[in-house]
Amino acid sequence: MASPIIQATGIEKYYGTYRALSNITLSVANGEFLALVGPSGCGKTSLLKILAGFEDLSGGSLIIDGQDMAGMPASARPTRMVFQKLALFPHKTVAQNIGFPLHLAKRPKSEIDTAVRRMLELMHLKESYLNRYPHELSGGEQQRVALARSMISQPPVLLLDEPMSALDAKLKKSLQAELKHLHRHVGTSFVHVTHDLEEAMMLADRICVMRAGKIVQIGEPSEIYYRPADAFVAGFIGDTNLLPAKITRAGEGFEFSCDILQCSAPRLGADQVAAGVAAGADALLMIRPEMLRLLAPGESADCTLAGTVSEYFIRGASIQYRITVADTEIVMDVPGTSVLPAKQGDAVQLGLSLSDLFAVEA
Amino acid sequence: MKKTKGIPMFSPNRRTFLQGMGAAGLAGAGLVPGRAEAATSMKFMCWEGYDSPAIIKPFEKANDVSVSIDLITDSPGGFAKLAAGAWRDFDVVATDSPWVQRMGPAGIAEFLDDGEFADVYEDFYPQFRAPFAPLEFEGKTTGLPTRWGWVGPTVNTKFDKLETWRSYAPCFDPAYRDKICVLDWGDWPIMPMALYAGIDPYKELDDKELNEIRLVLRALFKNTRAVVGDLSVAQKGLMDGSFRTLIGGGTYCTSALRKDGQKDIMSIVPEPKDGLNQGIIWMEAGGVVKDPVDGAKANALLRTLTSPEVAVELAWTEATCNLVPSQKAEALFTDEQKDVLQMDYMWEAWDKSHFHNVAPNMDQMLEIWSQELAAAN
Amino acid sequence: MAEMQKSWRDGALRLSTLPLLVLMGLFFVIPLIMTALLSFQGTQYYRLVWTWDLNVWTDVFSQIHYWKIMWRTLTMALVCTLLCTVLAIPIAYGMLHRLSRWSDQITLLMVFAFLTDAVLKTFGWVLFLDRSGVLNGTLESIGFPPAAVNVLFSPNATMIGMVYNLLPYTIFTTALSMARIDRDLVLAARDAGATRLRAFVEVTLPLAKPGIWAGAVLVFVLSLGVFLEPKVMGGGTSPLAAELIRQSFETRVNWPLGAALTLVLIVIGAAVLAVAGALAFWQARRGSND
Repeated sequence: MASPIIQATGIEKYYGTYRALSNITLSVANGEFLALVGPSGCGKTSLLKILAGFEDLSGGSLIIDGQDMAGMPASARPTRMVFQKLALFPHKTVAQNIGFPLHLAKRPKSEIDTAVRRMLELMHLKESYLNRYPHELSGGEQQRVALARSMISQPPVLLLDEPMSALDAKLKKSLQAELKHLHRHVGTSFVHVTHDLEEAMMLADRICVMRAGKIVQIGEPSEIYYRPADAFVAGFIGDTNLLPAKITRAGEGFEFSCDILQCSAPRLGADQVAAGVAAGADALLMIRPEMLRLLAPGESADCTLAGTVSEYFIRGASIQYRITVADTEIVMDVPGTSVLPAKQGDAVQLGLSLSDLFAVEA
Repeated sequence: MKKTKGIPMFSPNRRTFLQGMGAAGLAGAGLVPGRAEAATSMKFMCWEGYDSPAIIKPFEKANDVSVSIDLITDSPGGFAKLAAGAWRDFDVVATDSPWVQRMGPAGIAEFLDDGEFADVYEDFYPQFRAPFAPLEFEGKTTGLPTRWGWVGPTVNTKFDKLETWRSYAPCFDPAYRDKICVLDWGDWPIMPMALYAGIDPYKELDDKELNEIRLVLRALFKNTRAVVGDLSVAQKGLMDGSFRTLIGGGTYCTSALRKDGQKDIMSIVPEPKDGLNQGIIWMEAGGVVKDPVDGAKANALLRTLTSPEVAVELAWTEATCNLVPSQKAEALFTDEQKDVLQMDYMWEAWDKSHFHNVAPNMDQMLEIWSQELAAAN
Repeated sequence: MAEMQKSWRDGALRLSTLPLLVLMGLFFVIPLIMTALLSFQGTQYYRLVWTWDLNVWTDVFSQIHYWKIMWRTLTMALVCTLLCTVLAIPIAYGMLHRLSRWSDQITLLMVFAFLTDAVLKTFGWVLFLDRSGVLNGTLESIGFPPAAVNVLFSPNATMIGMVYNLLPYTIFTTALSMARIDRDLVLAARDAGATRLRAFVEVTLPLAKPGIWAGAVLVFVLSLGVFLEPKVMGGGTSPLAAELIRQSFETRVNWPLGAALTLVLIVIGAAVLAVAGALAFWQARRGSND
């Protein structure tokens, strides 16, 4: 890997005695799209503000684009921010907003004009918008103007602070796709803060999950999804069934026992157990809803569960079932079909493959 | 014509004002017992001091009346208010004597029968006894004098000798530049300057004479440090020597300082110049406004105001101390009070002064005043 | 703009402004009309006479000293407005951002000072600025010659008093306007490469404009009517319009003249505001067509 564009080492941040960030070590590769996710108050926004230079470090070091950021004001940093509420200047026209960084850099008017038009094209904005004011634009258009303003001076790093949180779902989807496209096109490194995991999985090359000021896990989306570091990460991302189990070492791999799961050969490979799980300890078996399937009578699987349908939701592409197994409620997603495979109150048999199981610390 | 003893907000004695506010508030809340049970209710327009409970309360009790007070903040304003129609509401007024006299020609005075007040006049110094021209209109009496004093240079003997101010000449001396304070009390500061210029301002003036007054005011403003309307600013400057004299003031300005022990401070009257007296005697008077609710009780209030006991009250107030026309009251003053009031000097001042009266060209003089003041800076 | 035009056609909205309209009519327009009518009357023997003539107006237009005082009043008001506006900007900004920790205490102190009787404050200034006052005493004790500052009883002292008494208006309106600016906008400017000063000029200042304007208009109108400061601190030797009007009404008991001079002052003030408003409108339009 080439030298990273962002290298944060042991970053600490205190607000008074409150420790907002502790020992954050993180690197972002040039051109990478990194998503910072976590529940509110986890420190993701503080970290972003530290990267942008709006907050000072209490400890640790930060190098961006080869320069130490210590004492460097926001105005001099190689980063640009897209604000949650966009922060478009209400008294400046769209053209003035987009061209603002170049205007500050005292670039010639003709150059600014060309650059603004180029950004307009890139963001699929109409030329007639140039002389309008931000409040005359729709939410999605404002979003694009904000992006254009941040990108016009081609910063090495773009910081995005939940810029899509205020948009409706449909608009969000289309802008997410555009953002991904934009990222590929410009080659800038993106650091994107969001509490929406789906958004993070869809956009990011890597996801950094934070909790209580600490990094819990950094990894590619599939890793985060299928190999969560712990129950918190597993539960934070999507629907998950977490079944209590006992894990014991067996040669290269592990053996497990779980009350409600009947397996012919309850074994897990070494890569199917999270790092923190100690042999002999209590653990949780993670089963994603889409990994379960309905078994036809007589059909067999590596592991099976028997239960009763308590509720179901038709969600278009999939049908979600809530199934009571013993006293535990299990969530299962099956592909949508026009004929319901099971109804409320039906006794059902569920199956799953051993290879889909993953154990995390209890 | 007028002496602004401080526009209400300038008033050196804000206490009364606040008391008034408090009383109004209480009355509004229904906490002060109404005076409606009294047989007669009277309205009395007066300067601050005449409204003292020590004067009004016993009068109300003795005559079974309730007196409501309307304080004057400037005498022309009070007169204008009466003349504009308020005379119908008022019974008694106590203001500067020219304005009491003017009630005569204005047709808003209830003329007094001198015979009825013979015993009152009896108690007065001979100078104030009937017939008393300054309060007469066409031979009829418009009011009774209540307080008086003189307008002349005020001197702080710590800084200047009394002899220096035997004339107004230092007002125009470059050595006194920026050391003169003029009181912005309507005509009071204009009159002495006219007299210094050799013009009697109380007679009908021609253009040449008015021009002389213009020139003398222009010269005065050249040396003037401040034109103040407020007593306390003037007094402070006199005490610390930044004002060597106050023009247009006199006893009204200095008596309270003397009361507080500042005996270095005095008011004098300059020596006559070219046969013309240089001092001015001012006077306040009480009069009955046309058609009082109860003429006898209105007269009774005038009697009260001129009685020796009340005269002492009127003479001795917080903001200013003044002489009274009552000779009988003289015995009631202590030696210290007499000293404060410069009683040993009063007849000398009287002899060297004009009586402050209605001046026919007053408005032109005031206009000249404001023109020259506008041009001065 | 579109919303504003629409609001005029909204009947219910118009109806809801009726009480205000009546109030303004009763307490502003009617007295103004009465003042205007008064100026065509005369005075005789300290009494108003209904003459219906132009004598007072002839007098007003033939006396230079009235105009001299009006001109002085106008220039003093403009200078005072400029000073109050310019001083309020850094003060309001500092209060909000640099001293934000003490902002409550500062506001409290200012409100106290603001609510303290103007007469007391003005006399306080006299004691402070006097040749033998606190300021000169302090200066003397650190080696300055006696009475180094001789400003009391001069137009400059009047100005000090006016700015002191009126500054809170501009500080409050400006601070209010600044406080309403989204902090992110300033951060966005800083992020885009602006220094603190540049961010202030590009973002804070233009967005605080409504408050700055409101404060300036308020101070201008109030400073046209100042009375205490020229009289007490200015030493009364450079009277301004309010004193002239007071003298006409009170000392000279010439109500028609006072009314006419009042109207002159109102017209001058309204004309200046109209010109300033037109300039601002023209500038805003030019800005949006840029």
